[in-house]
Amino acid sequence: MKQLLLFFAMSLFILHAAGQSRTLTGLVRDDKGNPIQSASVFIKGTSLGTVTNADGVFNFSVPDNARTLVISSVGYGSTEVSIGKNLRFDIALSVAKETELQGVVVTALGISKAKRTLGYATQTVRNEDIIDKGDGSLLNALQGKLAGAEITGASGSAGASTNIILRGMTSFSFNNQPLFVIDGVPISNDLDQGTISLYSDQSANRSMDLNINNIESVNVMQGPAAAALYGSRASRGAIIITTKKGSGKKNTVNVVYNTSYTIQKIYGFPELQNEYGQGANGIFSSISTFSYGPRVGSTPTLANGLIVAPGQNPVVNGVRYNPGDVIAYQDFPSNLEDYFETGTMLENNLTINSGDARNNYGLSVGSSKQDGILPNSSFKKNNVQFSASSYLTDRLSIKGTATYFNTIQQGVTQGSNGAYSSIARLFSTPRSIDMGYYKDHYTTPGGYNNWYVPNVFSSVLKDSISAADNPWFAAYKNPIKSNLSRLIGALTISYDLNNWLNVSYRAGIDTYTDRRKRTVAIGSTQVVRSTSTGASGTTTGGIMEDMFYRSELNGDLLITAKKNDIFIPGLNANLLLGQGVNQRKFQNISEVGYGLTVPGYYNITNSTNLSLSNETNTLRRLFGYYGQLSLGYNNYLFLEMTARNDHSSTLPKKHNSFFYPSVSGSFVFTDAFKIKSDLLSFGKVRMSYAKVGNDADPYLLSNVYASASYGNNVASYSFPYGTVSGFSASSTIANPDLRPEFTISKEFGANIGLFKNAINIDATYYSQLSKDQIISVAVPGSTGYTTKIANLGKMTNKGIELTVTATPFKTKDFSWTLSGNFSANRNKVVEIAPGVTSFGITGVTSFSGNIPSIVKGKPYGVIVGGKYITNANGDRLIDSTTGSYLGFVANQIVADPNKDWIAGLTNTFTYKNFSLSVLLDYKKGGDVESFTVAALRANGSLKETGVDRDQPKILPGVIDMGGGKYRNNNIQIPAQTYWNAGFGAQTGGANSNEFVVFDATCFRVRELSISYDLLGNAVGTKLIKNVRLTVYGRNLFFYAPNCPVDPELSTQGAGNVRGMELLSAPNTRNMGVSLRVNF
Amino acid sequence: MKLIRIPLLLLTISLITSCSKSFLDVNTDPNSPTDVPIKTLLPVSTVGLGWASSNELGRTAAILMQYNAGISGNAASYDQWILSSLDNQWNSEIYHGTLNNLEILLSKTEGSSFAYSGIAKLEKAYIISIATDLWGDVPYTEAGKGLIYPQPRFDLQQDIYLGNSSKGVQSLFSLVREGIADLGKASVKSPSDDDIVYNGNLSKWIRAGNSLLLKFALQVSNVAPDTTKAVINAVLTNAATTTPFIDAIDGSLDLNIPFSSANPNAYYLQDFGGSIPNTEMLGNRFLALERVLNDSLRLSKMYTKPAPTFIGYDNASPFAAPAIGIRSVYGNYVTGTAGNAPVRLLTAFRNYFILAEAALMFGTTGDANTYYQNGIKAAMKSVGLTDAEITAYFTANPTIVTLTGTTADKRLQILVQKYVSSVGNAIESYNDYRRTGLPVLIKPLVTQGDDPNTFPKRFPYTSNEGDANPNQPSPRPLTNVKVWWGL
Repeated sequence: MKQLLLFFAMSLFILHAAGQSRTLTGLVRDDKGNPIQSASVFIKGTSLGTVTNADGVFNFSVPDNARTLVISSVGYGSTEVSIGKNLRFDIALSVAKETELQGVVVTALGISKAKRTLGYATQTVRNEDIIDKGDGSLLNALQGKLAGAEITGASGSAGASTNIILRGMTSFSFNNQPLFVIDGVPISNDLDQGTISLYSDQSANRSMDLNINNIESVNVMQGPAAAALYGSRASRGAIIITTKKGSGKKNTVNVVYNTSYTIQKIYGFPELQNEYGQGANGIFSSISTFSYGPRVGSTPTLANGLIVAPGQNPVVNGVRYNPGDVIAYQDFPSNLEDYFETGTMLENNLTINSGDARNNYGLSVGSSKQDGILPNSSFKKNNVQFSASSYLTDRLSIKGTATYFNTIQQGVTQGSNGAYSSIARLFSTPRSIDMGYYKDHYTTPGGYNNWYVPNVFSSVLKDSISAADNPWFAAYKNPIKSNLSRLIGALTISYDLNNWLNVSYRAGIDTYTDRRKRTVAIGSTQVVRSTSTGASGTTTGGIMEDMFYRSELNGDLLITAKKNDIFIPGLNANLLLGQGVNQRKFQNISEVGYGLTVPGYYNITNSTNLSLSNETNTLRRLFGYYGQLSLGYNNYLFLEMTARNDHSSTLPKKHNSFFYPSVSGSFVFTDAFKIKSDLLSFGKVRMSYAKVGNDADPYLLSNVYASASYGNNVASYSFPYGTVSGFSASSTIANPDLRPEFTISKEFGANIGLFKNAINIDATYYSQLSKDQIISVAVPGSTGYTTKIANLGKMTNKGIELTVTATPFKTKDFSWTLSGNFSANRNKVVEIAPGVTSFGITGVTSFSGNIPSIVKGKPYGVIVGGKYITNANGDRLIDSTTGSYLGFVANQIVADPNKDWIAGLTNTFTYKNFSLSVLLDYKKGGDVESFTVAALRANGSLKETGVDRDQPKILPGVIDMGGGKYRNNNIQIPAQTYWNAGFGAQTGGANSNEFVVFDATCFRVRELSISYDLLGNAVGTKLIKNVRLTVYGRNLFFYAPNCPVDPELSTQGAGNVRGMELLSAPNTRNMGVSLRVNF
Repeated sequence: MKLIRIPLLLLTISLITSCSKSFLDVNTDPNSPTDVPIKTLLPVSTVGLGWASSNELGRTAAILMQYNAGISGNAASYDQWILSSLDNQWNSEIYHGTLNNLEILLSKTEGSSFAYSGIAKLEKAYIISIATDLWGDVPYTEAGKGLIYPQPRFDLQQDIYLGNSSKGVQSLFSLVREGIADLGKASVKSPSDDDIVYNGNLSKWIRAGNSLLLKFALQVSNVAPDTTKAVINAVLTNAATTTPFIDAIDGSLDLNIPFSSANPNAYYLQDFGGSIPNTEMLGNRFLALERVLNDSLRLSKMYTKPAPTFIGYDNASPFAAPAIGIRSVYGNYVTGTAGNAPVRLLTAFRNYFILAEAALMFGTTGDANTYYQNGIKAAMKSVGLTDAEITAYFTANPTIVTLTGTTADKRLQILVQKYVSSVGNAIESYNDYRRTGLPVLIKPLVTQGDDPNTFPKRFPYTSNEGDANPNQPSPRPLTNVKVWWGL
C-alpha cells in the first residue's frame, strides 16, 4: 500500500509543469435561469476543459492562447463563447435532448466526467422524470425507468417500503440494497424492521424520507466498476442523488412553489364470489370463517341452518336470533373492499434560490401528508433544506447543506398470522358478513373487541370477548406509530493550490432517531411480542416501544490533479488521491410490556411484564485509501484505473486490510476513425474489470452468550424467570478467521448514436462473480449450535442492459421522444459449502412452511416448501380412499421470484405548451406466492370457488394402481374439500403451497401525465415566469394474465426476501393534479 | 512553496493511519457477554428440560397417546402419524439450550463446584434419555460440543443406556451415579435461587438422581432385565439406608419445573396464550377410559368442562371439531390458571408405578399392590384431590384400585393408572407404550406418515441434522422400526 501511495505521490510531481495561464469563472444555466450542473466546458480545438459544479459554476485555468469555449451538457445543446478579455461568463444552454451521449455525468465521489470517457454504464434520471407522477417515494418514482434495476413495492399501504436491487443479488447474507449517496454523503436506506417476519407493520425504508421535488438528478451506477471508489458497499451498485442547489442569476431570486393533491384507491384486488355466504358444507354457521354456506336465496330450513335450531341463539351481523327465527342471509359484494378507504396525499413545496456564481444560497421547504388506504393509517413527511456556497477567496470555496426530516407513519399490522395481523382477520371474513355493521360496532358494550367470531368468557377480564380481532378494532385500537427525526448534512471545503491541483475535504453526517410505539388493547387477541427477538408474550394487552437510532459519519479527503498534453500532445491525465473514513452506529432499544391493567392507558408503567425488552448496539468503522488515474487520448481513447484499500473494524486484525482494483476503458471509434456519417453519428465501445471487497457485519468474531429463550411463534419462553436470569451460549459459532467477501465484475458495452444522434443506444453485457461469501452456514443441531460463520460460497450474476432514446419526430411546435430500457439478469448460486445444498436466507425462518432460500444451482431467493407427491410423470398422486392428494414432500422448490426480463418505455409528446408522457412497463416471469389467494381460496371467497359450487369436483391427479400403473382420478369430492383441503391453504407447515404460486408476468401503464405550461407573460405579470399544471395518474392499468391478484407485491419490502405476498394491503391506483409556479 | 503542501497532506494521512489501530478496535460485542457466571447457566438447562418435554415433543406424544385429538395445523398432522418438523426441538431445545449449556456448565464446574456438576450430570442424563427414547441412536458422547466436534457421531441406544467402554460411551446409569456422588462432595460454589426446582437443596437432587435410575432401569427391561432388577434393588437398598428417591405421596419431593403466569408453560401457550391456539382438545378415547374408571373428578382437574358434560373429539377425525367455547381442553392441573402449572418430570406417583411393575414382573423388593395403591394416591394428590375424595374413590372402586387377575391383567392395571396419571408428561406414556404395548390404543380414524399401519415406534430424524451431519443413519429408519428397548 505504501508503495502505491508513493507512486501516486510521484505521479503528482511528474504531472506538474509550468505554463502561462489565466483563470476563467462562469455560470452555466438553462434558458429559465436554473444552474446546470456537470456541464462540460472545453477550449475549442483542444481537449482542455472542466465541468461545472453542482451550482453550475466552473472555474479553470486556460492558456493565454485560448480563444473560444465550447459548453455542453447532458440534455442540452452546446454553445460556443468567445473568450476575449473576459474572466467571468454567464452562459445559457437551451434544452436539446439529442446530445445524450456526449454529455456529462456525476460519477463516484461526486466527480463529474464526460460520459464519453466512461468505461462502464451509468444512467441518469432528472427531476422532471420523477416529479408529478403520483408517487412521492423516490424508489417508486424510478420504477420502469432504469435498466438493470429490480424495484418492487411492499404494498399499497401508506409508507410501505420499496425494494431495489441493481444487477442481482451479490451477497448471500448481508444487505443487497445499493449504496445511497446524497450530495456526496452516504446515507441510510435501511429498513428498520424488528425482525424479518410475518407479523409487523410495513415500515418505510429511509430513502422514502427524501423529498423528490428537491432532487435535481439521480445517477444510477448499476455495477461495481462504476462504484468501486465508494468502497465496500459498491458491489451492490450505487444511487447518487444530487439535490437542487441555490444559485441563480445575480441579483435575482428564483422561487418555485408547487402543490399537488392525489387520491389513491385499491387496485388489483382479487375477484370474489357473491353467491354463497358464511358456513361450511352448505350449512349456515354464524361462527364459521368460511363462505361455504348455503347459496344466497336458498329456502331457509333447519337443515341448511338458516332457521335457527332449538337451543341456539346465534348472533348474525349484530342481530341475536331465537330458535325458529329465519336468519337474514345475503352476500355483501364489496364487504372486503369496503375496509379500504380512499387514500389522499397533499403535497406542498417551496424552493427559494438566490445568489450569483460565487456566493449563493438555497432554501427548500417540503411537506406532504398522506392518509392511507388502511383505516387509521397515515404517512407524513416534512423537510427543510438549507444550502449555501461561497468563494471566500479566489481559490478557497466552502459549501454546505443541511436537511432536517420529520417522517411520521401510522399503520396497521399486516401479515398472514392472525395473532399479530389486522389484515389476516379481514381476509377471513365470510361474504355474508355486513362490514358496515362491524365498522360501526367494533367494540362490545364492555368496550372490548366485537366480531362475528363467537365471544368467549375471559376469566382475566371477567367479560366475554371475541376470539379474533375485528379488523377495525385492530386498526383503531392497536395502531403502530413511527416518528422519525433525521438530519443529513454535508460540508465541503475546497482549495485550488494552483491551476492543476485541488485539495478538498468533504464531511457528511446522516443521523436519525425513529421512535415507534405499538399498542395492543386489553381484550384484543393480538399477541404482544418482542420486536427484536420475535419471542411472544401473551394476549393481555401491551405496549411495544421501539427506538431506532442510526448515525453515519463520513469524511473524504480528495486531492485532484489534472494535466493535459503530458508526454505527447493530446494525452490528458487526471489523478485523484483520497482517504475516506466511515463510521456507522446503530442502536435499538425496545421496551416491551404486556399484561396491562388499566384499559386505554398506554404507558409502560401499566404493564406487569417487561421480560421481552431488549437492547442492541452496533458500531462499525472503516477507513480506506484510494486513487484513480484517468487518461484520455485525443478525446476518443480513455483509460481509467482505480485502486482502493480498506481497513474494516468488523474483520479480524489479520484480515482487516483488503485491496481491490478496477480498470476500465472506452474508445470512441467514430472520432478515432473520423467517421462522418448521418447514419452512424457516434460510436463508442467500452469495457471494465472491477473487484470490490465487502466486510462483515459487526461482532461475528467471538462466541457470546445471550439472555436465554426457548420456543417459536406457537409457544415461547424468555428469561429472566422472576428474578433469576438465564444466559445461553449463542447458537452461532463465531469465526475469528473471517476474511472479506469479494465481487468481481466484468462489463462490456457500446454507445451508438444513429441518424444525427436522433437515436441513441446504450448496450451492456456484464458478468459478476461474488465469492468467499460470509455466511452463517448450518451445522448439525447435535453440536449444540445451529450455525457457524464461514467464508464460503460462490454466486454469479450475468445480464444485459439496453437503453434506447430517440426523437422520432420533431417540428417547431410538436415533438415526440421516447426512452426505453430492457434488462435481463441471471443469478446463480454456484456453490454454498461442502455438503450444504440449501439454507434459508439469513434472518428468515419460514413463512408458514415456506423458506426463502439459497439453493445450490438455483437463483438466489427461491422459495422452498412442501409439494404434493407426484409419480415419475409429474402427475400428482391421489389417495384412492379419500380423493384428496396423497401427501407432500418437503424441501421442494415451490417458487422462483427472479424475473426473466423487465422493460420500460416512456413516450413523451409535446405540442406547444402541452406535454403528455406515458410510461409503460413489462415484467416477464418470476413467481409470486400469494397468501391472499390462499386465504380467500381456502375459505371459499375467491370467485373460482363459487363456480359450480353445488357440483362435486375431482382433483386433477392420478391414483396408483400398483406395479407402476396409474389411472386418472375419478373420485368426486365436495367443492369445499376441493378448494380448502385439495388446493391447500397457506396455514401450517403441513399444507402444500404450490397452488398459490403464480407467474408474475405483468404489463402495466405505470405513469401517465399531462401538463400545460402557462408562461408568465400570458398571466400578465412579470412576477410569475411560468405556471405548470399537471394532471397525472399512476398504475392506471395492469394486465397479469397468470395471476389473480396484482403480482407486484413483496410484503417483506426492502430486503433479501422477494416473491412473497403475505396478506398485505393491495396496491393502489393513484390520480392527482399538481400546480407548479415558477416566480 | 506550493509543493510543500503535498507532503503535508501525506503526513496528515499517515497520522490518521497511525491512530487507526484503536480507531478500528470497536468490534467487541456490546450486546452479548463473552462469558457469564455459572448461576445463569443452570436455570437455562433446567427450564430447557421442562420445556423440551412439554413443548412440541410433549404435544406430539400427547396426541399419539390419544390424551388429545388434533384439530388443525401440526396437531392434526400428528394425529395422523405425520411426524415432521421437529427440527426446532432437536436443534433448539435438546441439543442447543439444554445440552450445550450443560456441557459449558460442566466444563466450568467439574472437579470444583460439585454441587453444580452433580446437578448438571443428572440433567444431562435426563435430556439425553429424552432424545434417545424418541429417536433411538442419537449423538451423545460428542454432542453439544460444537467447538470441538463439528459433526458428532451417533451412539447406539444400547451403548447410551448400558455404556460401551471400547467406544468411550458412558452409560446413563453411570452418569447419574457420578452425579449423585458429586452431590455428596464439598463444593466451591453452590446454587441457591438459580436452582429453580429445589432452591439448592442437594438432598432432593439426590432423590431425583435415584428416581432417574428407577426410570432408566425400567426403560431397558425388555432387553436388559438383569440390569432392571439390579438397579432397582440397589436403589431400594440404598433408600433404606442413605439415599432415598422421590417417594412423598403428597408430591412435595417431585422434580417439577416451575412456570408462572409471567413465564407460562408450553401447554398453556399451545392451547390458550400463544399465537396459534385451539388446535387440539380432549380425545374421545381418553375420555371413554376415564369414564370406565369412574374417574371424572380427577378428569375435571386435568381437563376443562365448559359444557354440562366433557366434550371430546375423535383422533384424526375427518369431521368438524366442536365449537371452541364448549371443547374440553387441558385444565388447570396442566396449564395452571395462566400457564403457572409446573411441568412434572420425576414424580412420586410414577416412581410407585415403576416399583409396582418391577415388583410384579421382575420380583424386585416390595409388594406390587402396595406400590400400586400408593401410586394412585400420589397421583390423585398431585391433581389436587383431597384425602377424603381419594378415600371415597378407593371405597367406591375396590376392583380398580386393587391388583387382581393374571400377571398380565395386573400389569395392564398398573400401566393404565400410570397412563391416566401422566397427563402433562405424555413422553413417559409414549415410552411405556412402546415398551409394553399398554394401555391398548385404537388406531386413529385416518393415518398417514411413514407407515399408516404401524403405530410410530420412533420419531423420524430431523432434516437439518441429516443435511449437515453425515453420521446420521441414512436412509433414516422409518417410524415402524422399533428402538433398541422397544417392542
